[in-house]
Amino acid sequence: MRTVRMLAIGTLMHVKQISRSPFELAIALVVPVVQATLAVYLFRSGGEEHRLLEAAVGAGVMGVWSSVLFGSGGAIQTQRWMGTLEMIMLAPRRPVLVILPITIATGLTGIYALLATLLWGRFLYGIKLDFAHPVAFVVAAVVCVVALGMFGLLLASTFVLMRNANALANTLEYPVWLVSGMLLPITVLPAWTSPIAAALPTTWGARALREATSGGPVWPSVGICLGVSLLCLVLGGLALTHVERRARAAATLALA
Amino acid sequence: MKTLRLMGLGGVIAYRALFNWTTPGMFVGTLLVGPLFQLLFFAYLGRQLQVADDRFYIVGNAVLTASLACVFGGTMAVANERRYGTLGHVLLSPRSRTAIFWGRVIPYAGNGLLIAVVTLAVGALLLGLRIPLGALPGLLLAMAAGSLACGFFGLTLGALGLRFRDVWVVSNVSVALLLLLTGVNVPASELPGWMVTVGGWLPITHAAEAARRLAAGDGLAAAAPALGQELLVGAGYAVAAVVLLKIFEVESRRRASLDAL
Repeated sequence: MRTVRMLAIGTLMHVKQISRSPFELAIALVVPVVQATLAVYLFRSGGEEHRLLEAAVGAGVMGVWSSVLFGSGGAIQTQRWMGTLEMIMLAPRRPVLVILPITIATGLTGIYALLATLLWGRFLYGIKLDFAHPVAFVVAAVVCVVALGMFGLLLASTFVLMRNANALANTLEYPVWLVSGMLLPITVLPAWTSPIAAALPTTWGARALREATSGGPVWPSVGICLGVSLLCLVLGGLALTHVERRARAAATLALA
Repeated sequence: MKTLRLMGLGGVIAYRALFNWTTPGMFVGTLLVGPLFQLLFFAYLGRQLQVADDRFYIVGNAVLTASLACVFGGTMAVANERRYGTLGHVLLSPRSRTAIFWGRVIPYAGNGLLIAVVTLAVGALLLGLRIPLGALPGLLLAMAAGSLACGFFGLTLGALGLRFRDVWVVSNVSVALLLLLTGVNVPASELPGWMVTVGGWLPITHAAEAARRLAAGDGLAAAAPALGQELLVGAGYAVAAVVLLKIFEVESRRRASLDAL
């Protein structure tokens, strides 16, 4: 119970902190809206007007991924720059419990993107928010955010070994959008991308949201998304513990 | 001649100093692999939606990929001087501000050109696009014009960094807007009139049009008007950047806020 409380309070604190950054807010709100507009015009041009809601949701998930990628990827680096990394690592809890709230918070901030693209589509382009499974959509959105937060932990723990993780994060934005099928079905991609897609929680999260939007079996995708994410959590936790011990032994925790 | 030397040498030294965080691996990953996936993303999306053919997406996105290095590079040319506390020293120089800052853009434009060329070559190989050999010099010219225009556009945004605290918000939003407004991913005929008008004043729009004509084998004469327009847009941003830098420099001196972040 104490662990759940700690995770919840930690997440709330980091959401509040991120929400006060004009940069984070502008990126979470404006860029996904631009991408949603692009998606709407692309789908209209292709005569796929009946899939505009799917396009808006897809653009929103792209925004969630960007938020997690840049936020979680740089989570430890950001704490290091702010001079708070030593303090949070001194907390008498496992490193994974201290960093996980940060990465989940970046996923929750990404929810802004999903909401922004849906509201933008509704009010500017008159897209009816006519979800095939509305309740499942909400559940899938929450699972997707938490799952991406866990995936973010794995990113955070591996990126900490690289000096300029923020720059490297740029490289991973489009590949994951592409391979996870956030805007286009992965069936149109070369066959060798399928195993990669299957290993990514983003694929299952995006699929669950798409199925909740346009119809389909939502729950298997939600379940697989959670399963893959829990695996990421375990791997991320192990990597984080290893990195923390190494950094303490070498006295390099505060060094970039 | 001395001014050209200042622009060339000064630009290269500043590039090495301000772009010091990268390594070869990081450069390839961030500036070559990332843009290639951008091209693949839109090419596959375009194929699936049947909006336009592969040439439209491959050539257009290859030209657009230069914007990443050029817009952020142009912005960094001013914003990072301020961040590292060296802007005051640059502005104390007795040499022409115009030459100093225009020179800053050249290495980033070269970077952008390299990215565009690599992205076009790899994208065409992966997706099986044939480009006439005779079109290559013209394509290189179109990509160079687009890169230069983007660099000056980035410099203009960097100048805004002297007035606004977080210029990176502006740069990130601008790069996203270029995806939409330049007609690289959605044909101009499918966009609202106002977006097409705004796109006409942005870098890349005309360079992408010229590059598409050249890749289609239309020849340099057919692409020349669009190329000319791209150069005009670039020249416009070059002048705008210098004027804004001058205005904000005077204001920053008056308010003693030159190095305030």
